[in-house]
Amino acid sequence: MALDRLFNLGFDLFSGIAILLLVSIGLAVIFGMRGIINLAHGEFIMLGAFATLSGVRSGMNVWLAMLIAAAAVGVFGIVLERLLIRRLYGRLFDTMLATWGVSLILVQAVDNHYGSVTEGIRVPVGSFTVGEFSMSAYNLILMGAAAALTTSTFIVMRKTKYGLLARAATQSPTMAQELGVNTSLINMWTFGLGSALAGAAGALLAPLVGVIPTMGHTYVARSFMTVIVGGPSFIAGTVSASGLLGLVENVATNRFTPVIGQAMLLIAAIVILRFMPQGLTGRRDTR
Amino acid sequence: MMAQLARLAGSGASSARSSLGTDLSVAGLALVAVAILGNTVEEFTAFEWSLWAIQAILALSLVLIWGYGGIFSFGQAALYGIGGYTYGFWAINFADNTGESLTAVVAAVVVGAAFAALLGYFMFYGNVTNVYVAIITLATSLVLFAFVNSTSGSEYRIGDAPFGGYNGMTRIPRLTWRLPGGASHELTRVQFFVVCVAAGLLIAVGIRILSRRPFGRIAVAMQHNELRTELSGYNVRAHKLALFTIGGGIAAFAGALFAAWGRFISPPIFSLTPAALVVIWILVGSRSSVAGAFIGVLIVEGLSSWAGGADGNNEPIVLGAILIFIVLFLPGGVIANAARAWALASRQAANRQPAPPNSQEPAQASQIQPTASPVLDWMAEANGERSNSPIATRMVTKRFGGLTAVDNVTLEFPSTGVSCLIGPNGAGKSTLFGLLSGQYSVTDGQVLLDEQNLTKWPAFQRARQGIGVKLQVASIYKELSVRENLWLACFAMPHNRETADVRTEQLLEWLRLGEHARNPAGLLSHGQQQWLEIGMVVATSPCVVLLDEPTAGMTREETRQTGELVSQLGEWASVIVVEHDMEFVRQLGAPVTVLHRGRLFTQGSFDELSGDERILDIYLGRE
Amino acid sequence: MNAPREHRIRSPWLRIAAVLFVFVLLAAACGNDDDDQAESADDRASQVEQSTPVEEDPGDAPEPTQEPPTSGEVQEEEEKAPSVDESTSEPIRVGSLLDETGPLNIYGTPMVDATRLAIADINAKGGVLGRQLELVALDSKSDQNEYITGADRLVAEDLAVVHAGITSASREAIRPTFGEAELLYFYNVLYEGGVCDRNTFVTGVVPTQQLQVLIPWAIENIGPRLYILAADYNYGQISADWVRHYAADHGGEIVGEDFFPLDVAEFGTTISAVQSAAPDAVMSLLVGGAHMSFYSQYAAAGVNESIPVVSTTFGLGNEQVALDPVSAENIIVAYPYFEELDTPQNRAFVEAWKAEYGDDYPYITDLAVYVWEGWHLWADAVNAAGTLDRDAVIAQLESGVSFDSPKGIVALDGGSHHLVQPVSLARTNDSGGFDVFETYDNIPPSFEQESCDLIANPETNEQFTPN
Repeated sequence: MALDRLFNLGFDLFSGIAILLLVSIGLAVIFGMRGIINLAHGEFIMLGAFATLSGVRSGMNVWLAMLIAAAAVGVFGIVLERLLIRRLYGRLFDTMLATWGVSLILVQAVDNHYGSVTEGIRVPVGSFTVGEFSMSAYNLILMGAAAALTTSTFIVMRKTKYGLLARAATQSPTMAQELGVNTSLINMWTFGLGSALAGAAGALLAPLVGVIPTMGHTYVARSFMTVIVGGPSFIAGTVSASGLLGLVENVATNRFTPVIGQAMLLIAAIVILRFMPQGLTGRRDTR
Repeated sequence: MMAQLARLAGSGASSARSSLGTDLSVAGLALVAVAILGNTVEEFTAFEWSLWAIQAILALSLVLIWGYGGIFSFGQAALYGIGGYTYGFWAINFADNTGESLTAVVAAVVVGAAFAALLGYFMFYGNVTNVYVAIITLATSLVLFAFVNSTSGSEYRIGDAPFGGYNGMTRIPRLTWRLPGGASHELTRVQFFVVCVAAGLLIAVGIRILSRRPFGRIAVAMQHNELRTELSGYNVRAHKLALFTIGGGIAAFAGALFAAWGRFISPPIFSLTPAALVVIWILVGSRSSVAGAFIGVLIVEGLSSWAGGADGNNEPIVLGAILIFIVLFLPGGVIANAARAWALASRQAANRQPAPPNSQEPAQASQIQPTASPVLDWMAEANGERSNSPIATRMVTKRFGGLTAVDNVTLEFPSTGVSCLIGPNGAGKSTLFGLLSGQYSVTDGQVLLDEQNLTKWPAFQRARQGIGVKLQVASIYKELSVRENLWLACFAMPHNRETADVRTEQLLEWLRLGEHARNPAGLLSHGQQQWLEIGMVVATSPCVVLLDEPTAGMTREETRQTGELVSQLGEWASVIVVEHDMEFVRQLGAPVTVLHRGRLFTQGSFDELSGDERILDIYLGRE
Repeated sequence: MNAPREHRIRSPWLRIAAVLFVFVLLAAACGNDDDDQAESADDRASQVEQSTPVEEDPGDAPEPTQEPPTSGEVQEEEEKAPSVDESTSEPIRVGSLLDETGPLNIYGTPMVDATRLAIADINAKGGVLGRQLELVALDSKSDQNEYITGADRLVAEDLAVVHAGITSASREAIRPTFGEAELLYFYNVLYEGGVCDRNTFVTGVVPTQQLQVLIPWAIENIGPRLYILAADYNYGQISADWVRHYAADHGGEIVGEDFFPLDVAEFGTTISAVQSAAPDAVMSLLVGGAHMSFYSQYAAAGVNESIPVVSTTFGLGNEQVALDPVSAENIIVAYPYFEELDTPQNRAFVEAWKAEYGDDYPYITDLAVYVWEGWHLWADAVNAAGTLDRDAVIAQLESGVSFDSPKGIVALDGGSHHLVQPVSLARTNDSGGFDVFETYDNIPPSFEQESCDLIANPETNEQFTPN
């Protein structure tokens, strides 16, 4: 195989993985740290995309708009956490019901405000050529952003005081509370961080996809697959699951058809969970 | 109204009190009311209501497997779709010839149940649990979605019936029946509506009958404490599989009705939204109550139809707000809250009357019956029949990832009598118990009972073979009543309701828990919870009793009594006690085995070992 | 799972109140259903429009003063002779069932707008048989079940005609219902073609019509090597068959072919595959919101400059508006109607539309015009037949009525119940619109004409597919 084709294959593979990682990492934080099944996750991504659109349309620099969009979705997450989610910790299924409600409201509210068709934004950087193949330079930015966001989430969780307290609040909320940690505040920041990451994913995808109110549906199922296949150690898990599922989908799409690629991603998720019931990073042996 | 709701809402455990007669009369009344209503409204209104009845049946399937069995599935809508497609294929191919489509309904149920059985086998026998089940079922639906969507070509057909791809399968025959030799009758819309409601009510009554039978009670037990259920000797995986299969059959039945209703079925039935909607319905209604299925569908579907009328564009907003309202103010669903409110209100009314004079505070230091309890008799009986069965390990090793918790331990315990197992934290005592009881699989080595190699046996089979274990943290059904806890343990072994009923009462007496029999076990004191679990172990007439820290949280007096009880058990079985309380170990006067860092450290009598400096060293961590 | 720590209402009475609150809402919901038995339409979703001249219509907000008639009144109306009675000046009741809300409203909104405009226009010009039209409009909410119940309601409404359905799945779900009820049915949407049913008339364009124009043009002007990208469902697959057919007829070659599930939004691998195959043009049959991403990603990779895209679906969901001008640059499409068409009829139409719905309306899609034509063809046929009787109206329609539409003359092909209509080629421009560069008149629905003759065989009722 020609070298340029090889490069191109790798480029596609890593683009796919980067997108999967981007749309999953916010959910991983929220689900991994707080056990919230956020069915509105797709809508958080959608909000990030629309916020970016609004920013650009009001004359803002596109990168600044993305940054502000991610922050805005983070703030939105914090408000939502204070008003609603805070009352639901530990109630897995109630959070599903509530976030499903939130997702219905968000889609319709955005539809009412922006209409069913909105003007999109252009990809901010051009393309480059390797051999016979022309590729989007923006995808390189996506890969960089996915790596940067994942690494900084990891660092925040491992190296900062907040990260330490957040992990303490996850593992032993009563103990943390007794040690004088304001777990409620920590939980708020955790949800805010997860929302901001989802918003960032939406912002980064905005130039590459059709930005419509229902775009979240495209991402919610696969981001759940990724996070759950990843298992309990959520950052490492999400990274490895994105890598594995992305690889499977990419190879199957390349070798066969996009339909088979999509089916193979799902089947891979099923098979992994069947043989590793706790996910990729779960304890291998329970029985 | 409220009283009926409250009664209907009762979940597995408490429903044991209400009778089949009540269920049937409530269902009968509801059916009559609905039939009258169905005949007074316009046909198309009845037509629309039929859909709600069908959706309620679908919701019932999830109430059965999730509400009762604790299996959280996102796949009910997919099974519904499979039922619908099967009905379509069958009816299109055969209904013209046979003049009826009832066999198509049967075919749908069979195919749906078979698919559920396959999927269930795949999941449960791989020990997939909780949210992972949800994801596997969801992924399965989405695979079906992608597949059926791409079947538009004319090569995708079964007989005369094409799949139709995204456009769906059309012209599916309505529900039609025919007596042998008679003319065939197609149900009118109103008849169809009544049939759907009747089917829904029948299934609801059926689920409630099931919930009172041992099968249903075990399902509930499984939901509350899967480990304990398995350790009592129930085949949890087979139970889950059976439940999931029945649930699949019900969902497919609803799907068949759906296809007959709309005469049409298309792939979006396999997509995320319907999968989630089923869950939403019963979260809104109540997941542990059959009434919740009906109420949930009525509220969600009724409100979305109403909200659409109020202002089309805001329907999702209204519906979303209602869902959030329910989560915040009516957690557990509308029905559960109605029931709870009714119970609270009636209790408040009752409280206004003076308390009956003989209601005393439970005696904290209740005594365990010293001797001659029938409990010991049936234990003796069971173990008299068995040949003496010493339990032994041969070079067992257990590793968790990089950590070796038990390292090459060879041990044998006598077939009767008490033995003690001690060692500092992390010595591998509980892990060793886990290896004996089957909670953990052995990395290397063998576990033997009476010369039989149990190494590969699942926990429930070991329990049936006579290994009973009380876990470190009392593993009981905290939400279920004390009596139900004991009954579930008693029923496990002889599998006979009458015997279990009798033995439950005997155990209650033996454990002196009679006055708490109706309270949730979680309300018992720590010591009582330990006794309850010991009672549950004893209930299975084990020949090997593993007790992991039985006196944790007990008062001095309770500890003393527990010591007596352990000694009693030792007369008939091999009792192995893990304990940190050295006073207790001394009281038992039994041979002591010391574990340290997963290895066998030393063995001997308490007196021999109490002089051993090395043991003090390892306990104090000075080496 | 941990025992839930619930935030519970302590007082039983508050709790009862909360439960009651939900039940009251529910009762309201059911009650509503009870009394909308017959006039469902009025309070469920709809705007009843009666002799409303275009100018007076208050934008797309719901009628502020909807006064649902009481059920008594409606019953009375029901008991009367059906609206088919011609001797009265009562309004003629007609129905529509479209996705006003939900994901499909991207197509539904312009169709609903066009329905209202068409009814108002017909009424303003004197109505049908001298009577005004009264619209019973239901919202199917992008939900298949709503189509099934909606069709049932419309049948019970005693209407003269129904124009309904957007997706092919929705059409197939409701078509048999209208057929059995002998309620005349119009389907005004671009679709995969092949429906042959005496009770059904289709004004939408079919793939053969677009492709018999587009493919020869592309092969001649761009090159013979085509790469097909299609949505993986009936429309995409059948259209792809036709692309192959016409390409073979005109010396073209298919060098690659990929089908995508409707929710796929990533096309990186495909874009590489296209580059490997190095076709002269990409033939896009992609559909829906997720597939819109293809154009952005294609442009981001910079391939759109070397390998142009031709499409029969781009623009259907206003892609040219939703994408930025660079992503949407230089795509060639073939449709019967473009807002930019420079004819007097179209200028008048656009003016009336903008007067009604505002100057900032995104784009008038061709879906809107099929709806406009559907209603007018029906109205003209009834006026010509002089009766609302279904069989007479069908006979009149089959005799070959034609209509001077904004896009030119369209004529009903009596045998196939499809439209012979003009098809134009256009190129996207940088202002979210199209530049029309060629128009072909009288393009026949050739496959439907070949496979379906309802005048000779009125009993036919199926959907033909190629091969």
